[in-house]
Order: sequence, then C-alpha cells, then structure tokens
Amino acid sequence: MIEYNESERRMVLKLVYYGPALSGKTTNLLQLHEQLTRQGRGELMVLDTSGDRTIYFDLLPFFLTAPSGLRIKVKAYTVPGQVCHDATRKAVLQRADGVAFIADSNPDEAQSNFASFDNLERNLSLVGQDIDLVPLVIQFNKRDLPNAISEEELRNTWEPTGIPVQMASAISGIGVTETFAALAGLVYRRVDARFALAATHGLSCEDFVRQLTCMRDDSAVGEP
Amino acid sequence: MSSGDGLVYLVGEEKSLRELLLDSDVLPLLQGLLALGAGSASIMDQDGEELWGAAGPGARGEVLAQLPIYLEGEQVARLKVSGEAERRAGLKACAELLKVALDTVIRNNLKRVLTTEIHTSVVNSSHEALLQINADLTLSEARYRELAANLETRVKERTAELRRAHTHILQQEKMAAIGQLAAGVAHEINNPLGFITSNLHTLQKYVARFCAMLQFYRDHLNLDLPIETVSAEGERKWRELKLPQVMADVADLLSQSLTGAERVTRIVADLKGFSHVDEAQDMPVDLNEELERTLGVLSHALNGRAEVIRELQPLPRITCHPQLPGQIFLNLVQNALTHAAGETRIVLGSIFDGERIRISVADNGPGVPAELRGQIFEPFYTTLPVGSGTGMGLAVVYEAVLKLGGTVTVADAPGGGADFIITIPIVKGEG
Repeated sequence: MIEYNESERRMVLKLVYYGPALSGKTTNLLQLHEQLTRQGRGELMVLDTSGDRTIYFDLLPFFLTAPSGLRIKVKAYTVPGQVCHDATRKAVLQRADGVAFIADSNPDEAQSNFASFDNLERNLSLVGQDIDLVPLVIQFNKRDLPNAISEEELRNTWEPTGIPVQMASAISGIGVTETFAALAGLVYRRVDARFALAATHGLSCEDFVRQLTCMRDDSAVGEP
Repeated sequence: MSSGDGLVYLVGEEKSLRELLLDSDVLPLLQGLLALGAGSASIMDQDGEELWGAAGPGARGEVLAQLPIYLEGEQVARLKVSGEAERRAGLKACAELLKVALDTVIRNNLKRVLTTEIHTSVVNSSHEALLQINADLTLSEARYRELAANLETRVKERTAELRRAHTHILQQEKMAAIGQLAAGVAHEINNPLGFITSNLHTLQKYVARFCAMLQFYRDHLNLDLPIETVSAEGERKWRELKLPQVMADVADLLSQSLTGAERVTRIVADLKGFSHVDEAQDMPVDLNEELERTLGVLSHALNGRAEVIRELQPLPRITCHPQLPGQIFLNLVQNALTHAAGETRIVLGSIFDGERIRISVADNGPGVPAELRGQIFEPFYTTLPVGSGTGMGLAVVYEAVLKLGGTVTVADAPGGGADFIITIPIVKGEG
C-alpha cells in the first residue's frame, strides 16, 4: 500500500503488471484504458522513451470513493520486462498490493515466463513481501497465437498452485478486464482484512470491483 | 520519503497540485483570462482555498464558470472564473480552453515527476550497488596490490635464485665436460704410458744382461786366459744371454717408447691448447685451429668410431676468450657422437663470406624435429633418458656463441641428421 491516511480519509493502492518482456503488460493497460469508463479513471501515462518497449513503466490510475467518504486511489503499473531493468522492477514492486503476472502463451517463451516468475519471487522478497501472501493472478496472454500452449495444459499446471489463472488475448481486449477484476477482488479481500473496508467504510467487494471495472457505455456522450 | 542514506522515492507516492504546477505554469494562463475580459480567475482546492488567483482592478461580477480539475482521475481542484454576465459565453469557452491547457500541463508535469522519481530511485539503488562493488573492488585491489608487490619481490628472488642455479649448472656442465675429457685423455695417455713402462721394464732386464756380459768379459780378461778361450766362452755366454735377439729388440723398444712419449707430449699440448689454461685474456683466435684442437682432445672418442670429414676454408681470426670456441665445438661434436647411430659421420664445414663466419657441424643421426628446434638450446632440455644427459650441452653452446656475438641454429643436414650452424658476424677492421 502506497498510503493510508485515516485523518485525511485517503487510501492509495498499487497494482503491478509483471511478466517477461513483450508479454503484453502495456497492452493490458491500454485495453483497460480503452474499455473502462472515464468516470473515476485517470489518463494512462505511458512512460516509455524509446519506441514500443517499456523502459520506465506505465501507469493507469483509478479513483473511487467509498460510502464512508474514504477516497481510494488505485494505481496500476507495468514494469519493464527486459532483464536489465531489474532496478526499475524492484522500485515499482515496492509496497505493491497485488500482482498480475502476464505470461506469454507462446511455447517458445515458456523459459522466459519461468525466469520472470522467479525474478518476481526474488524481487518480492527483496522488497519485504512473500509471494504466497501477495494477491496474485496469472494471465496467459496471446491465446490467439496458433501455437499457443493448450489451456488444459496450463490449467493443469497452474491451478494446483491455487493462483487464479486467466486466459487472454489482450491485443483484442479479451480477458483484460476479467484479469483486472480478479486481481481487484483479491486485493479487496486483503485490504478489507486489515482496514475493514466493508464494516467501517461500507464498501463491499462487489462495489469495489464494479467501480474499478465499469465498462464504457458507447451510447453515452464520448470523451472530448 | 527519506531514509538514512538520502532521499528515497516511493513509486506512486501521491503528489499535490502545488507540487506539480509552478506559478509560472498557471499564472500566465489566469492573467490571459483577465486580458480577455474576466474580472477574476482562480484555482481553488477541494476545501475552497485559493491555490492560484488573478483579479482585475475592482472587478467583481458573478461566477461565470466552475470547472473540475482532475489529477489521476480524482478531482483535486476547480477553476473558477468571474466577470460581467454579458461576457459569460465567451469567457466560459475560454475557461474550457484553459482547463484543457491545465490538464495538459498537469499530465506532462506528472509524467516528468514520475520519470524523475523512478530514475532517481533506480539511480540511487544502482549507485548503492556500484558503491558496494567499488568497496569490494577496492578490497580486492588492495589484496592484489599486496600480492603483486610480494610477487615482484618473490619473482625477483626466484629469478636471482634461478640465475645462480643456472650459472652454477653451466659451470658444473663445463666441469663435467672437462671431467669426461680428462677421463678420455687419461685413457689416451695411459695407453702409450703403458707400453713405455712395459718397454722400460724390458729394457731394465736387457740392461742387466748387457751388464752381465760386460762383467763376464771383464772377469775373463783378468784371468789371462788365451784369447781363443775367452772368445769361445764369450760366444757361449753371448748366446746364453740371448743378446742377438735382445740387441735387435732394443732399437724397436726405444723407438716405440720415444713415439709413445711424443704422443703423450702431443696430447698434453692439445689439452693445454684446448683448455687455454694459461690464457685468460681475449685474444685473436683461428676457429679452424680450435676445431682441430677439439678433434685432437676427442681423438679417443673419435678414432675408429666416427668418420670425420673436414670441409674447412681459411677463416679470419676473431678476438674472443680462447676457451669459448673449444666449449662450442666440444659440445657439438659430443652431441653428434651421442645422437648418431650406426656408422657415425661428422661433417665439419667452415666458410667466410666477407661479413660472416659460418661453421657447421653436421651428423648423420636422426636430426632434430622442427617443433623441438626452439627448445633444444634451453637449459635442461634433453631427449635422452633421465640420468643420461644433463640437457646442458647445447645450452653451453648457446651461451658461448652468444658471447661471441653470433647465433646458433639447427637445420636438416643433407641426407638426414642435424646440422648445427654457427654464424658469427665479423666487424670491419677486425680479423
């Protein structure tokens, strides 16, 4: 958690999209930005400096207010997947409230997936977090690839770990909101356990997730 | 956030509008609204406090526009524009424009701040990592420096030790060569000395017989016997003492002994000349003569065992320590004898081309493979079984040739075998 200020009635949460290089982390945020309503959603900050690769990170902020008046900001970040940007990954991972691990369904990238997951586990422990306790979802992206590893195989591999697995094709927007909603749900449960979001602030899990993932209504007046 | 070692940014830390916008970002925009006819323009935070404001002289009017300002999706302030009611439409449009401009500035500034934060954070952690690496390196450098310093001393010590050992071994090798030579020469001297001694023993007996004969005559002459009787008795005694044979033998014995003594004299002269024991100073030396002297002292090893072919041409004298050529030739010829198999043939050549003296010692042995040619002149290098060779012979040659200012190489001899070639440049005016 980035910040919790009881007197100012303010809470800032951090979600991190982790994963190997070019697995589609930025695409996930771009699609969220595209699909979700402008209400309560900030602008997507794409902080890349050279072409299509994320060197710094991307940030998509969300804002919602609990019935109690608690103002909650949720900042979704991506990390650079390239091995050499480990310092950035560590910095972004600091005080994360939840992690969406975006894996590549291309069988050729299986090794990169494992390496990145190892890196996530190590970096989490370096910033004082336990991968077994951190809210974590895995998204297998690029399901549209003709040679994608079969869903059955992936589920057989990952479901025994208890980590929720989502299938996605971020480039066409499939599975992106579902992944975000799944992560939001897990994060809510963890935050609720500590700060009694439901009991004290009147914010249910469903409301929390619904406010964050409110789909854009195309019939409504568009953005200027 | 700050910690013990300087500023540490937490990625995602909240920023207030005041932190993101400078007066110089906002005030010109608000002033612009005044210029367009607004009475006042201000940005108020959520608690109604004015963050930035601009007002014309005495202008009041009514509130014409109130627009929300968002930061990361959260409304954090509002833009408030007041003025005369009849300017509402125009000023409201201007206020919308100003809000878009502010949004853009906020977004860009936020982007810059975020970039700076992550950059600083990464640079800080990289800096810490680098400091750690630097500390480690400094430590290991210190270790290496110490090691290097010691190493230099150690290497110097070892080098000096090796040099002493090397000199010692070269000296030993020379002594060993002299010892071998002495043994050979002793044998060579023993041989004539043996038959000279044997001849002398024989001569001793012969002289006894001569004395007996003389005594016989002297005794018989004193008895005043008739000359015939003395003559007959003397003849009988003469034969009894086998003097005819003795007298025939004496000449041979003496000439043999003389020849033997002359041989010993020559051997000693060769040895003395070869070793140059009396000469410690540099002097003009004819290398052909030195070659002959070497063959002379090696005669015990060469005679009947090796065919020596001389292809020697007159050479200018070179000035050097007179022992050096002997060391070179002795070791080369011994080397040829050691490695030659079967009927040994040694071809000795010398030639002077006006600039260089070239001396070759070729044998009909197995030769030296090309890959070994760089090593054979190194000390302790030997192809002989352990204990058979010291590996110093050719090293002595190399050292001695170097002292003559020349070079020594090995090539294939015509028809097989090794051909050691010594080249010595002759400085003009010398020789």
